[in-house]
Amino acid sequence: MRTPTAKALVFYAVIGTMVAMVFMGATIIYPHPLLLVIAMSVGQGIAIMSLALYLLGVALDLQTQGGAYIPYEEPAVAEEPAAVEEPAPVEKSGPPKE
Amino acid sequence: MPEIHSTEQLLQVIALACAVLSLLIGAWYLVRRPHLNQVTKSMLLLGLGVFPLIVSLTGNIASFQYTLTRPFCGSCHVMGPYLRDAEDPKSNSLAALHSRNHKFGETSCYTCHADYDMFGAVTTKQNGMKHLFMYLTQYSGTGPDGEGGPPIHIYKPFKNGACMQCHSTTAKGYLEKHGDNVEEIRTESVRCIDCHDVVHPLALSRRPGAKKEAAP
Repeated sequence: MRTPTAKALVFYAVIGTMVAMVFMGATIIYPHPLLLVIAMSVGQGIAIMSLALYLLGVALDLQTQGGAYIPYEEPAVAEEPAAVEEPAPVEKSGPPKE
Repeated sequence: MPEIHSTEQLLQVIALACAVLSLLIGAWYLVRRPHLNQVTKSMLLLGLGVFPLIVSLTGNIASFQYTLTRPFCGSCHVMGPYLRDAEDPKSNSLAALHSRNHKFGETSCYTCHADYDMFGAVTTKQNGMKHLFMYLTQYSGTGPDGEGGPPIHIYKPFKNGACMQCHSTTAKGYLEKHGDNVEEIRTESVRCIDCHDVVHPLALSRRPGAKKEAAP
């Protein structure tokens, strides 16, 4: 079984929210009793589930550092190694000995 | 552009605006499919969390306000005769007289039929759900005014308390008219609608052929 990715969860959350918004908006424009009951129960249930899916998707994304979406790129290898500078001689200084 | 005359209309406009914004954000995400970076997450939090929450709150209040109105009660066809009588300017039924009173206005059905106890609004809405169930299961295929369906009856006897919310039993005029019956009226042993019985003259239960046991 495939593990749902964060992107899939967010996708379903967006679809669910849009369906819920259509239900609720239709109720305000055309307040028929049956539509009103559906919007206030099923519509709000879908909206809450969608928000939960979105938050789960974001949590999953943060856990994986977004690696599911942004392809990982190998760091560019330097052609020439940087020259190692020899440490400069340290002059010992201190209070003059008496 | 239509003007806003009430809080209910204002809430409806807010709810619709937020629903449209939420839909636009959703459509933007589905079309563009951007990476889940901070900007996208913030936009989606608005579209999937904040705006739907506002729609839910304002929409619920606006819808609840609308469910108190007479057009909502009359939106099921079996209530047609009740609605027509209540809105008839020539009718002398109690429903019509009270509907013409500006203090009842558009909410005359709810004002008289709502329970006046502490959780009255909740129990009234529960009964409304029962009405919807009965309507879908028993009246969906009936005639234009519910002909052919079972007679409509009230769940429990109409209490005098509903009348006494406005009609004080201590007023001088009331005492003069009702004489010795005042105590019986107050204790509900005599019901107001026993004498004032023309409440809903076009009710299904009052039409020819209706069963006798049906209450008004």
